[in-house]
Amino acid sequence: MIFNQEPHDLLSTMHKQHAHDKENDRMETGSFPVVRRRRRDGGGSDGSARTRFVTGLLITLLCAMLGFGYAIQLNNPTSSYEAMSEDELTRLISETSTQVQNLEQRKSELTSQLNALKAAADKQQEAARIAKENEETSGLLSGRLPARGQGVVISISQGQKTPVDAATLFQLIEELRNAGVEVMALNSVRVVTSTYVVDIKGGLQADGVALKPPYTVKAIGDPQNLQNAVNIAGGVGSRLKVKFGSNVRVSTPDTVIINEIRAPRTYTYAKTVE
Amino acid sequence: MAAVLGLIIGVVVGIFIRPDIPIVLQPYLPIMVVAALDALLGAARSFFERSFSDRVFVISFISNVLTATLLVLLGNQLGVGSQLQTAVIVVLGIRIFSNVSSIRRFIFQS
Repeated sequence: MIFNQEPHDLLSTMHKQHAHDKENDRMETGSFPVVRRRRRDGGGSDGSARTRFVTGLLITLLCAMLGFGYAIQLNNPTSSYEAMSEDELTRLISETSTQVQNLEQRKSELTSQLNALKAAADKQQEAARIAKENEETSGLLSGRLPARGQGVVISISQGQKTPVDAATLFQLIEELRNAGVEVMALNSVRVVTSTYVVDIKGGLQADGVALKPPYTVKAIGDPQNLQNAVNIAGGVGSRLKVKFGSNVRVSTPDTVIINEIRAPRTYTYAKTVE
Repeated sequence: MAAVLGLIIGVVVGIFIRPDIPIVLQPYLPIMVVAALDALLGAARSFFERSFSDRVFVISFISNVLTATLLVLLGNQLGVGSQLQTAVIVVLGIRIFSNVSSIRRFIFQS
């Protein structure tokens, strides 16, 4: 019906519509389609004095809040962990644990170093102690050092029948050695391994020093053993008494002091084996 | 005038009272401050352009702060809080710079 009646009209309508669409679809306007703001019919901004006062107050309040927040944020200690985010905390933890590991490693290094030094110091101290001990022992043995300790003092007067001979005195020394004497002195002569006693005219001589009666033998060792060694039946003591008629007196003081020393011997031929 | 007065009052009160802000609010406070600063500078710019409006300023201030806070809150809930915070700060910083530059243009032209 329509087709029949108004074919021309329809065509022109379509044509118009197309033109209108084209106008609307134009893109070179330079701006997005603008939705027009509805005009306010009261004229809001320049309203009554009360409205202006309220907005001014509001502005002041907002700016005060801004300044307030700013001041708070200024004073806020930023290092509080509560305000940190999760990955910040994770990073912090990993950094701290790395640092802890480094420090632990350093600590163990230093500890082992300290232990090594301690061990070295101990070893050195031990060596020094042994050296001192050796020095004392060899000093006592060689007669380089004075000695004191428990022991016996034997005094032998000149024989009534015949003078005491060197062999008997040396036998006494040997007996005392057998009894475990440690340090010995004969009159003013320190008795060492190389000590000898010989007869000379009008007396005795030990290590080149003339001995005058009464002979005094100071010996450091077990007093009981030493006393027994002298006083044993048929021993040196009875021999001195019987054969030479001398007076043998053995006393056991608490401390026997032997001040007699002798210069260390210098060895010409003997060397220590390394 | 009111804005400057308010700023001074706020800073003085904040310095002297020193309140404990709740922990929930703590991560959002810097963002809020920056957003408010942006709004303030925008207001200053419009003041120089002679198109300042109280109402617009109040609304833009509040909406700026709320938007920034909500954006960061959303980011925190989605697990991209720090990135979104950075994004907000960057955008606000750019706006602040452009505002400042236009203000400077007004000052040096006259």
